[in-house]
Amino acid sequence: MATLEIINVTKRFGRKVIAADNVSLEVHDKEFLVLLGPSGCGKTTTLRMVAGLEEVTDGNILIDGVDVTDLPPRKRNISMVFQNYAIWPHMTVYENISYALKLKRMEKSEIDRIVHEVADMTKIGELLERIPAQLSGGQQQRVAVARAIAVSPKVFLMDEPLSNLDAKLRVSMRTELKAIHDSAKATTVFVTHDQSEAMSIADRIVIMRHGKITQTGTPEEVYDKGANLFVADFIGTPPTNFFDVELQRNGKGLHLVNSYFDLRLLPENEARLKGYNKDQLTLGVRPENIILVKKSKSILDTTALVVEPQGSHQVIAFRLGEKIIKIVAPALPKMEMGETIHLDFQQESLRFFDPESTLAIGD
Amino acid sequence: MNRKVNKKIIKAAKDTVFYLFLTTLIAGMLLPVYFIVSLSFLSTREAYRYPLPLVPALKTDFELTYGENGYILSVWDRTDKEYQTVLDTNEVEKMEVYIKARLGTKITQEEIRAEIARLENSGQESIFFTKPRSLLYNYDTFFKVTRDAVPALIRSIEIAALTILISLSIGGLAGYAFARYIFKGKDALRFSVLFVRMFPGVAIALPMVFILAKANLYDEPLGLSLIYSVGAIGLTIWITASIFMGIPKSLEEAAQVFGGSKLQAFMRVTLPLALPGLAASAMYTFLGAWNETVAAIILTQFKPTFSVVVYQTLLGAQGNVNLAAAGGIAMALPALIFTFFLRRYINQMWGGVTV
Ligand SMILES: Nc1ncnc2c1ncn2[C@@H]1O[C@H](COP(=O)(O)OP(=O)(O)O)[C@@H](O)[C@H]1O
Ligand SMILES: [Mg+2]
Repeated sequence: MATLEIINVTKRFGRKVIAADNVSLEVHDKEFLVLLGPSGCGKTTTLRMVAGLEEVTDGNILIDGVDVTDLPPRKRNISMVFQNYAIWPHMTVYENISYALKLKRMEKSEIDRIVHEVADMTKIGELLERIPAQLSGGQQQRVAVARAIAVSPKVFLMDEPLSNLDAKLRVSMRTELKAIHDSAKATTVFVTHDQSEAMSIADRIVIMRHGKITQTGTPEEVYDKGANLFVADFIGTPPTNFFDVELQRNGKGLHLVNSYFDLRLLPENEARLKGYNKDQLTLGVRPENIILVKKSKSILDTTALVVEPQGSHQVIAFRLGEKIIKIVAPALPKMEMGETIHLDFQQESLRFFDPESTLAIGD
Repeated sequence: MNRKVNKKIIKAAKDTVFYLFLTTLIAGMLLPVYFIVSLSFLSTREAYRYPLPLVPALKTDFELTYGENGYILSVWDRTDKEYQTVLDTNEVEKMEVYIKARLGTKITQEEIRAEIARLENSGQESIFFTKPRSLLYNYDTFFKVTRDAVPALIRSIEIAALTILISLSIGGLAGYAFARYIFKGKDALRFSVLFVRMFPGVAIALPMVFILAKANLYDEPLGLSLIYSVGAIGLTIWITASIFMGIPKSLEEAAQVFGGSKLQAFMRVTLPLALPGLAASAMYTFLGAWNETVAAIILTQFKPTFSVVVYQTLLGAQGNVNLAAAGGIAMALPALIFTFFLRRYINQMWGGVTV
C-alpha cells in the first residue's frame, strides 16, 4: 500500500558526473515499474537514492506522500535486492531472512512464521540452516528475495537481480518474481538494462539515458510508440530498422524516397506528416513490419545475406548500402542465403522521426 | 603391465623424496625448539656436559661413601655412564645447596642426615640412593633470581595489550577509511605509513626519550606502547585495509537497508567478517611488542619489560645457559598462548566463512 514519488531529483558525483539529471517519476501503488536503460545511464544511482544509500544533490523523494529525502535507509520502510545479492556470508539463510525482523523486536514465534512463509514462497524452505557458501547462485538469489519480502516493505527495490543468473534461469526467475510480486503486492522498482526482461515483467517502463528519463509508458507503448530514435532503437530485438529518406510530393500523394526504394504513403500516414515541413525524415520500421511479398507488389528487391532459422520464425538479413537490415518473417516458406527477396512495408506500423531532433513525429 | 609397475615405482620415489623433504623441513624448525625446551629442564651440571643429554632426567642417582673430609657424594653421569665424585665434605648444608642448585634435585637436610645414618649403620663402604628431580627448578630460580621478573611479565602483557588496542583501533579505522573512501593524498599517505617502518627502532627510540620524558611517559608502559604503536599502526592499516576491501560494501549497505544504523551494520556485518584478519593483525602487533628489546632498554629504567629482563639474565647468567633457556621459554609461552587463542579466528579465514 504505497506510492513512490521522485521529484526533480539530481545526483552529481564531483563536478563533472551527473548520474541523475532532474529525474521525476511516480510509482503507483502495487505497480511493478522497471527502470530501463543502457549501462551507465544512472539507474542504479536513482535506485540507491530511493533506498537512502546515496544522498541526493537536489530534489525530493516521497514515499506515501512523506518526504524521506533526508532519512537513513532503515527509516524509509523499503527493502532491496542487490545485484550481487549481498546476503551475509557469516549467517545462515534463516538468520539472513530474520535479521531485519529481529531488529524490529518481533516475537520469536512471529519471526519464525514469517521466515517460513517467505521461504516457502521463494522455494528455499529446505535451505534455512545452510550458509550462503553452500548455495548455488540461483538459491542465493532466492534468499535475497526472501529477505527482501520478509519485511513487508512499502517499496521494493531491485537492482538487476537477475543479471548474475544463467540465461535459462533468468527467464524462469523473471516469471517467478512477477508471481511473487503479484502475491506480495508491494510497490516495486526494478532496474535492468535488458529490454526484453523489462518488456516481459513491467507494468510500466521508464527508459533512462544519460541520467535523464527519455520515455515512460507501458511495454506496448514504448514498443509501438517509441518517443525518439534512441527508444525505438533500444527496445526490441532485432532493433528497429532506420532509413534516411526524402519527402517528395508528386501529384497523387506523398512519397518517401531514397536510392533503394520509393514508398508511397497511405493517406493516414500522409495525414500524420501534415505539420512536418522539412524534406528529410528518418523512417523507422520494425523487423516484423517489413514483409515478404510477390514481386509484383514489392517496393524493394534484394538478396538475402544471412538467414537465421529460429524455429517459430526466421530472421533474414540483407544489405542496403552501408546498412544491414534485419527482418523477421514466418518460418515458412524457408528462405535461402543468396535468394532474391521481394519486400514491402506495413504502413500501419511505420514510425517517423525528425533526423535533427531525433524525436518521433505524427503520434 | 611393465608401465604400471614403472609408474608405481616413480610414484613411490616421488613420495619418498617429498616426505624426506618435509621431514627435514619440520625437523629443521622443531629441533632448535626442542633443544631449548629440553635445555631449560636440565640441571646446571648436565647443561654443560658434552654431548648434551637428549632428555632431561626425572631423578638423580647418588652414591655416598666415606672420604677425607667426611663423606664423598657421587652422582650418576648419564654421558659417561659412571658415578662421578662431586663433593667431599662434612657439612650437610653444603651438600643440600649443591644438590639443589647444581643438580636441580629435591632434597632436605633431614633426608641427607638419614642417608648418612644409613651408611654408618649398614657397615658397608658405600650406599646408593635416588631422589626425584625438581624439573621446574630453573624456572623457579629464573623468577627468583631475576630482578623484577614477575612485575616485568605483567608489564609486558600490559604493554602488548595496550599496543594492540591503540594500533588496532586507530590503524583499523584508518584501514577502513582506506578501503571505503576516496580522499585526497590517499596513495601518498599509504606509502608514508610504511615509511616509518624503514627506520630501525633505535633511531626512533633515542629522540623519543626526550619526547616521552616531556610527556611524563618515560619508563611508563603507556609510553612504550605508544612507541610500538607507531610502528605497528602502519602494518595494521595495510592488513586491515586489504581485509575491509575484501568485504563488499553492499553487505554493509544491505544491513542498513534492513534496519541497522551505520554503526550496527559495521558491528554486525563488517566486523565479524573482518575478525579473522583483525586477529592476524593483532597477532603481528603482539609479537612485535612482546619481543622488542632495543627500544625497551632505552626507554625504561626501573620498569623494564620482560624481554629486557630475559636479555639481562642472558648477559648476567654466563654460567647458566639452562637458566637463560628457562627465561626464553617463559618469554615464548605467553606469545604461544595468545597465538593459540587467536588461532580459532585466524583459521576461520580458510574454513567456514568465505566472503
Ligand atoms: N560513486 C560514484 N562516484 C563517481 N561516479 C559514479 C559513482 N557511482 C556512479 N557513478 C557514475 O554515474 C553514472 C551512472 O552510474 P550508475 O547509476 O551506476 O549507472 P547504471 O546503474 O545505469 O549502469 C556512471 O557514469 C557512473 O560512472
Ligand atoms: Mg547499475
